[in-house]
Amino acid sequence: MAIAALETVPTVVPPSTPRRRGSLGGILIWIVLTLLIIAPVVCFLILGVSPRAFQQGSQWFTLQYVRQAFSSYSGQGIFNSLWVSTLVAVLSVSLATALSWLIHRTNVGGRRFWAVAMWLLLMMPTWMMTLGWSDLLQPFGAAQALGWDTHWFYGEFFGPLGIVIVLTSAALPFAYFIVSAGLQGLGPEYEDAARIHGAGPVRSLRTILPIIAPALVSALAIAFAETMSDFGVAFTLGYHSHFPLATYMLFNAISNFPANFSVAAVIAAVLIISTIPPIVLQSHVMRKRSFAVLSGRTRAPRRRELARGSRVVATAGVSLVFFVALGVPILGAVIGSLVKNLGIDSATGVHFTLIYYTQIFHPSITGNSLGAPLLLSDQLGLVVATGTGVLAVILARRLVANPGSWSQRVTDVFLLGSVAVPGVVLGVGYIFFYNLSFISHNVVNIYKTLPLLILALIANAVPGQTRFMAGPVSQIQPSLGEAARVHGAGRIRAWRTTNLPLMSRVLLWGWLLTFTKTIAELAISQILYPPSQEPASVSIQSYLANYDPGTGTAMTVLTLFEMLAIIAIALGVYRLVTPNGWRRVGWSGVRS
Amino acid sequence: MNGSTSRAAQVSMNALGKLFGDKRALDDVSIDVEPGTFLVLLGPSGSGKTTLLRCLAGIERPSNGTITIGGNVVAGPKTFVPPERRGLAMVFQDYALWPHLSVRKNVAYPLATSSLAKSERSKRCDDLLERVGISHLGGRFPNELSGGEQQRVALARALAADVGLILFDEPLSNLDADRREQLRIEIATLTREAGATALYITHDQSEAFALADQIGVLNQGRLVQFDTPENIYRHPTTAFVARFTGVSGEFPVKVLSEKGGSRVVVALPFASSHTIEASSIERLEPHADVSLFVRASGVSLGPPANDEGVRGVIRDVAFNGRGYDHVVDVGEGFSLTKIFAPLRFDRGRNVKVCFDSSACFVMDPTREVSQ
Repeated sequence: MAIAALETVPTVVPPSTPRRRGSLGGILIWIVLTLLIIAPVVCFLILGVSPRAFQQGSQWFTLQYVRQAFSSYSGQGIFNSLWVSTLVAVLSVSLATALSWLIHRTNVGGRRFWAVAMWLLLMMPTWMMTLGWSDLLQPFGAAQALGWDTHWFYGEFFGPLGIVIVLTSAALPFAYFIVSAGLQGLGPEYEDAARIHGAGPVRSLRTILPIIAPALVSALAIAFAETMSDFGVAFTLGYHSHFPLATYMLFNAISNFPANFSVAAVIAAVLIISTIPPIVLQSHVMRKRSFAVLSGRTRAPRRRELARGSRVVATAGVSLVFFVALGVPILGAVIGSLVKNLGIDSATGVHFTLIYYTQIFHPSITGNSLGAPLLLSDQLGLVVATGTGVLAVILARRLVANPGSWSQRVTDVFLLGSVAVPGVVLGVGYIFFYNLSFISHNVVNIYKTLPLLILALIANAVPGQTRFMAGPVSQIQPSLGEAARVHGAGRIRAWRTTNLPLMSRVLLWGWLLTFTKTIAELAISQILYPPSQEPASVSIQSYLANYDPGTGTAMTVLTLFEMLAIIAIALGVYRLVTPNGWRRVGWSGVRS
Repeated sequence: MNGSTSRAAQVSMNALGKLFGDKRALDDVSIDVEPGTFLVLLGPSGSGKTTLLRCLAGIERPSNGTITIGGNVVAGPKTFVPPERRGLAMVFQDYALWPHLSVRKNVAYPLATSSLAKSERSKRCDDLLERVGISHLGGRFPNELSGGEQQRVALARALAADVGLILFDEPLSNLDADRREQLRIEIATLTREAGATALYITHDQSEAFALADQIGVLNQGRLVQFDTPENIYRHPTTAFVARFTGVSGEFPVKVLSEKGGSRVVVALPFASSHTIEASSIERLEPHADVSLFVRASGVSLGPPANDEGVRGVIRDVAFNGRGYDHVVDVGEGFSLTKIFAPLRFDRGRNVKVCFDSSACFVMDPTREVSQ
């Protein structure tokens, strides 16, 4: 679901050519989407009320598993997920609004740094955040190594408080990017008009707030949906603190022996049902956010010059938020990876060491070094990001090609619905669907193989990536491609010389986001990795679970730095090899 | 039809139609354009002129009919030649300049597939930038240019292709009045110098009259009149063409008598004792109810003491640089607009209004199709 929230320009500019293709391509795409998303999810969900449909029980229709899912420990998980997600949505949007206003509309210090930090936060998986916090706070942990006494907070953190802190940090960038888009487009003329016509500062604020209300509602919706579907915190912090969350209960239902797919299906249905309305609402309001945001006459927003004291306070406040959200997890993980006998209370004193970094490639416990899992994750990232990119561009073009047509509406609704499917649901759906004997004997036999994991990761990334691309694709005026055709370029040259340069940035960022998210992805990887082919995130979890937190933490740090290095290299290469003109065009500046 | 026509393409459209779902955007349009002609298609929004241009460019596929360019069928029942193989160039309404390419690269784009050597391409690019007056802007990007400069780049790009047919899709509609006038002259001059056939669409009748060798007036997807600018102005064949090409006033009148040679005598409704002669494109019987259309060029103002003319009162006056445009009330509910006079007649002043019968014509006001 992640990058769906980063839809930059949701309004689709209708091209003047309504194309009508009942095409082979269209049928092919729907076959691919059916195998990727629709069939695994739908078949899995049916199990919740009709286990006999797939030979998983004797009843054609029963509500037994619905009752089971809501009455037991899993019911507690569903309830916890709902209230935690609601609280996190409110907290993250409040923080995001304040940060967005300070960074975009005032002269608060370090504005560029904060903007970059927000992207880092976006790419940081929640299990990494949890690990950083845990390494920092635990007895004989990183904080103690630095001489800080944090034992008073340790017990508090391993419970709802810690879960809310980490999930709020994770939801913050989504809310921030949405609110920022609304705030940046809000020119000063509205405030000026209010002030000129007699409104004081408070009434002015009351006047202009409704203008960015769509962005706020969107941010709330997406923060809620993101939190509901998170697996990283549920699998780590939630599990260890005996605070069940719905996604972990779903995983638990199929991990236990015997696996209870029907209960898992009911929990999956609850997750989807609870995330679809917010996402539909988000999409709806983002489409209607027309007041000021898309006006060509809107002037650039004016920055408020804060007084010196206020600027210091504001800068300190922003720094604190980023320190808590990003600094603590990174600091905790980095220091934790350098502390000998991390978290072991029998150790005499705390010593710094590099031994865990050497152990990464000379493993002592599980027999698996990080080398192979990290390489596998990189390969997965490469294949998944590329495959997702191609499919997302094709779907995004379909999404904007025939506005108002049935094809466009069906694609739109399908993608919205798919964005709401959490990775853990998709993973379990894949296990179930591709293990059906009908599928493995008559369609494709890829159960317990790497291709299945790749397909699931692509299926997980495609809906969000498509919606992420749809804005920039819709911004490219059809006349640019038409002009190329009219002036002698064939179909391919026209696309390569006009559309590709204009989309290059968004393609690169989309690719990088999918690549990094894939490397750190936990839910689907944990469920679908083939035997003896663990991706990095799974390998790290097994080290942590096998009481080797030092090596696990060092692996986490290395994985994180590898992600950052790849981003830096990719951006550097893009800067070096692309013509100047390509880099002048951002994803909101593609109109000539 | 000026300039060289050696490269100019002949263009024919025969029974051209285009449907968008149930909506008929083009309906049985047939036009033949001689090589080197500057043809302007004039019509209001939704009249089908853009669709026609896009069909010609190959951006749209016609639903029926054929298009021939330079003797080759490019669109027909079993033929559809893609845009890049039609040998034409186009200036788009939104300019369609590629924002990631410099001005020079935008202009050089059509030359990439030409057989010219690199040095020749560069020279041609320089020449074109010089001709359109933006040689100093070659290294800039489109977003660093004004609207007028962007339009010059689009014009240079179209001329760079050195093709026999150039299409213009309302290229001046996004510019202010000053730049529009200036660029209109440059388009007319440079296109004729290039020796290409030009097909230009606009909804602005003054632009059409200023540019065209021939004008085709479109309404609701149909070609309602195709003629020289002079004939379109002086002898409109439908009430729609008359109105769309600008009238000072339109009044219901009765035919008093026929004078032969397509001329009739009518009584003015606001001055029953006053009759005037007007032309008619069809034979009209006495007592027929018709509308009198009066072009602004056929109305003049004089002092109230004049013997000739109909009495009127100045309702409004506007200075237009060369003189004054007046609005005159000539009776209860009847007025004439855009009446030019070199001298100012103040608001509320009595005047005499004189009609030149050569600029007056009568026809059935509901007549929408030429017969």
